[in-house]
Amino acid sequence: MIPDQAHTAHIQTFHTVVAVVLPLLAAVINNFIPNKVKITGWISTIAILLSAAFAISVFAAVWNTTTVHTQQLWFTIGATKVYAGVWLNNLSVMMLALVPVIALPVHIYSMAYMREDERFNRYFTYLSFFCFSMLALVVVDSTVLLYAFWELVGFSSYLLIGFWFTRDKAVQANKKAFIMNRIGDIGLLSAIIILFAQYGTFDLVQLFGDGGLVSRSVIENGLWVAPAGQLPAIWQYVAFWGIFLGMAAKSAQFPLHTWLPDAMEGPTSVSALIHAATMVAAGVFLLGRAYPLFTPEELSVFAVIGCFTAFMAASIALTQNDLKRILAYSTISQLGFMVLAMGVGAYASSLFHLATHAFFKCLLFLVAGIVIHEMQHVKHENHLDIDPQNILYMGGLRKKLPLTFIAAVVGSLALIGLLFTSGYLSKDGILIQAFEWAEGKAWYFQLVPAGALLTSLLTAFYVSRLIVKVFFGKFRLLDVHPGIKLHISDGGWNYKLPLVLLALCSLFPLFSLHPWLYEHAWLYQGFLPSNHLERMNIYHTLIPIGVNIFCVMVVYLAYAMYVKRNYVAHQNSRLFKLSYNQWYIDAFYNKVIVNSVLALSRLLYWFDRTVIDGLVNLLRNIVGELSSLAQWTDRYIVNGIIYLITVLVRRIGNLARLFQGGKVQYYLYSMLAVVLLVFIFKLLI
Amino acid sequence: MNLLTILIFIPIVFGAIILLLPSSLRASFKYITLLATLIQFALSIWIYLDFKTGAGFGGVNHEDQFQFVQKLPWIHLDLGAMGAMQIDYFVGIDGISLPLLVMTTLVMVIATIASWEITSNLKGFFALFLLLDMAVIGVFCALDFFLFYLFYELMLLPLYFLIGMWGGVRREYAAIKFFLYTLFGSVFMLLVMVGLYLSVTDPVTGNHTFNIVQMMNPANYSEGSIFSVAAQQTILGMPARLVGFVVLFIAFAIKVPVVPLHTWLPVAHVEAPTPVSIILAGVLLKIGGYGIIRICLGIFPEVAADGAFWLGLLGVVSILYGALNALAQRDLKRMIAYSSVSHMGFVLLGIASQTAEGISGAVLQMISHGFLSSMLFYLVGVVYNRVHDRDIYNFRGLGSIMPRYTAFVMIAFFASLGLPGFSAFVAEAFTLAGTFKSSTTNGLLPYWMAIGGSVGILLSAAYFLWTLQRMFFGQPLLKGGEVWRTALHDINFRETATLVPLAIMALVLGIFPSLVLDVANGSVLALVEFLKK
Repeated sequence: MIPDQAHTAHIQTFHTVVAVVLPLLAAVINNFIPNKVKITGWISTIAILLSAAFAISVFAAVWNTTTVHTQQLWFTIGATKVYAGVWLNNLSVMMLALVPVIALPVHIYSMAYMREDERFNRYFTYLSFFCFSMLALVVVDSTVLLYAFWELVGFSSYLLIGFWFTRDKAVQANKKAFIMNRIGDIGLLSAIIILFAQYGTFDLVQLFGDGGLVSRSVIENGLWVAPAGQLPAIWQYVAFWGIFLGMAAKSAQFPLHTWLPDAMEGPTSVSALIHAATMVAAGVFLLGRAYPLFTPEELSVFAVIGCFTAFMAASIALTQNDLKRILAYSTISQLGFMVLAMGVGAYASSLFHLATHAFFKCLLFLVAGIVIHEMQHVKHENHLDIDPQNILYMGGLRKKLPLTFIAAVVGSLALIGLLFTSGYLSKDGILIQAFEWAEGKAWYFQLVPAGALLTSLLTAFYVSRLIVKVFFGKFRLLDVHPGIKLHISDGGWNYKLPLVLLALCSLFPLFSLHPWLYEHAWLYQGFLPSNHLERMNIYHTLIPIGVNIFCVMVVYLAYAMYVKRNYVAHQNSRLFKLSYNQWYIDAFYNKVIVNSVLALSRLLYWFDRTVIDGLVNLLRNIVGELSSLAQWTDRYIVNGIIYLITVLVRRIGNLARLFQGGKVQYYLYSMLAVVLLVFIFKLLI
Repeated sequence: MNLLTILIFIPIVFGAIILLLPSSLRASFKYITLLATLIQFALSIWIYLDFKTGAGFGGVNHEDQFQFVQKLPWIHLDLGAMGAMQIDYFVGIDGISLPLLVMTTLVMVIATIASWEITSNLKGFFALFLLLDMAVIGVFCALDFFLFYLFYELMLLPLYFLIGMWGGVRREYAAIKFFLYTLFGSVFMLLVMVGLYLSVTDPVTGNHTFNIVQMMNPANYSEGSIFSVAAQQTILGMPARLVGFVVLFIAFAIKVPVVPLHTWLPVAHVEAPTPVSIILAGVLLKIGGYGIIRICLGIFPEVAADGAFWLGLLGVVSILYGALNALAQRDLKRMIAYSSVSHMGFVLLGIASQTAEGISGAVLQMISHGFLSSMLFYLVGVVYNRVHDRDIYNFRGLGSIMPRYTAFVMIAFFASLGLPGFSAFVAEAFTLAGTFKSSTTNGLLPYWMAIGGSVGILLSAAYFLWTLQRMFFGQPLLKGGEVWRTALHDINFRETATLVPLAIMALVLGIFPSLVLDVANGSVLALVEFLKK
């Protein structure tokens, strides 16, 4: 390496490490601050601010210019050396910058949002710890560390979902989130182990870097042949499915998506940061890292699953009434788009959508947080027994919360993907490439772009429904409880500043100077291979125009249905039930999988007590019986004989004693008798 | 004076002091014991720092590579025509015994502090405790099979009384069960030991020997002897070496414990007082793993290779069976006992793989489990001492009532379920990596075993988190009502001081696994090299 380059690498590594460690430092400090001193909010915020500054400087230095890979020996196990280090390329520096930039407004917002909570300090400890794990996850250079931080983000998410640990629903949700993520984790772990067995290294750069080991291996004749060594081909598929599971759990893809809606039990600010913008994108990030591993067939799996998840989640979002749940399903749906994009080879678009989605979804959650906060305020002030998250009680809030309303509209437009927003740039790219991908393939592959297109329209509908129900019409709670007082407002600067920042970032100028050609977005271009073709067919024109026109029509339809006509869905139709009950997936898991595992565990415990321990006890009893038998023999036979002998001896002794009376007459008689006897014997013989 | 010898016999000296002191000084016994264990701990740290690593210090089957060796003739009888009987006092350590030794001395300190709860017959308790302490240290150091066996049997006696006299309601049942189980294992071990003695001759003196290291060299077996590799003798129609291996394996598998020889463990744990539970889980189980590595693999390497599949299978079965059973428990201590079965399954699986990663992972898992299970049992003891109940369903929302306690419970639970950053993660991950690799490097274990083992990681999350949710979260609700509520005060200084070192060890070993791996590596590589032959 040229000295100058080495120097740059050194500096960027150092800055990266600082950016990663600052939040950890904040978490450690916060942990020791007593509960009464509410300084932790500022400590965490300043840490993330500095972290963002360092991250952006690293981003500026590395993006499109260089890659940095530095490492240090961590430990040696057997002959294998395990290194710890950072790998900075376009993918990781984008994530490195994105995470603190999104986290910063969330921190500011949280200071106000959590102010009343008695575990305020704990909250910021957890939040900073999450930021640390997430930042480390995106920059590390080895699969072991990747897995470690992959789990740690899951762990911080567990802590934050169950932050209000006295609520049963919250602690059930965090348990569920962690266990479902664990399913993904063991998939990822298996994949890592398989890659290690195949390539003998944990180094991400050696594995997935340009011209790395993975890209130099092939599957032929049922063998997966690497530059050194080979495995049966099936293990390549297992590794793929492992990574798939890991991705599906973290990024809430079917069939492991059901934890995310439940995760909404955590504080809304947490939902905004972790369960919308950053952590859930880690699955897509993982696909980005491991991209060279996947064969075309495996990529199709991503396309299909992504498309299905996007559609299913959007269809569920249509009928939900919980504000945060709608947004959660919308997140699942959008993550489906990203996975779909990875599957159809739209690598750049997928990551681009990841970035834009982070901003507008975070914005929408913060909006939801304000709305819920104000509804809670109404609830407490008037002593009502209502669910503050239920959109059926809301309505007409645009007048009370004007800034929130504007922010919500910007976020929604971006989510729908209408012109002039960032969402337009990123999502239309995905749709276009999905069509290109399906071209010339079998008919069922056409379902993928068609499904994506349909999902776009569904998205437009449920988002509009949400906005209309919350902000338009009249405040429906007044229908139920006339005469309640409403003292609600947008809130202080802690609320307003994040909304404004994120709203601005949800518009096109941050990503592209050209409002309608996504190919010009700099973020998109950063992930493209240099030889790609631009605007080669009609899709590039047709789809954006068509989608926009249709979406506008759908938005108007929703507006007309809910504001003008006060439409109420047929709640008994099958489709409604399917959507409202979230396709019964959760119910199925609970009934079939959870219950059968528990039944199995009880069966095994029964087996343990009755059969295994039963055998042991049987053995013990047999030994016990044998020993009683031995005891009986001992007492009545062995001992009996001895006893008999003693009795005999005693009897004889007693008899003999009779002759020893101590009287001289008796002795004389005896002597006489003996003499007589001797004479008689003599005579006889 | 040899450091190891001092380390082994310190407890006996202090035990004798306790026995000689009048009972009126009984309040001082725990401090005397604490002093003994602390000195031991300091000595073990000294040994750790003084320990040399590298290629020339592998140990395993090279007698000259063992460190801190002391070898004294002990029982030498001239038997005339039958040669001379040769039993040595032979102690020494290599990279596999050293980490276990350090872990043991620390766990002993913790167990001593946990003994503060003991109130009856203190003299007996602490004297037996110190005797046990001596025996376990001796087991890890002994390199003469006779000496090993002596220490091994010597552990049994104090444990029987410690459970039987200071235990819970069904303590006698538990003690007898424990005693019979382990006795069953060791009686047959005695026979194999004698067989080995008669087969092996010391190349220097020409006498039969109990030297374990010399038993590892096939050249030392006299021609035609029962366990000679070349002679292929049979016992009851089965190959003699197979029988020898199986018998020794069963003896150690009972200790580990391996399913289906595990049922003494839940009973013993549930009835044992907290300090004994800590020693049982923290140290005793490791003697099983250590014995399998040192004796079964060392003396019968070719049988171990042939039977690797079955060992691996038992490992996977233990992992899954233990985990599923843990899921079904209502008694917190029983749940943790079954989780021990599951976690020790990883040790067996790693050993069976006979790869460097697998065996290192197994050693690290033993160390990690030593600290974590001690912590878990101590934590159960905390709640049990306060209200004399351990049923998971009788508690709810302990997080609000005992926040600091709950924090430690969360640390222990998450560390045990393999959260990265804690020692169990590195250990389990590399055990599985070694298991998977085994198929490509030595062809002993099939690929699927690694995947099967990883399901155990998932199940461990399930039972620990479910317990957290049921016992510690939610609105407080106790079976004992207000009485319990006042009894359940948060942990005090002494309890915190006990838990903190364990938590720190788990964390430090998770972040710097090299602390164990660096000393173990040389020996593990030597062992793997030895097993390949």
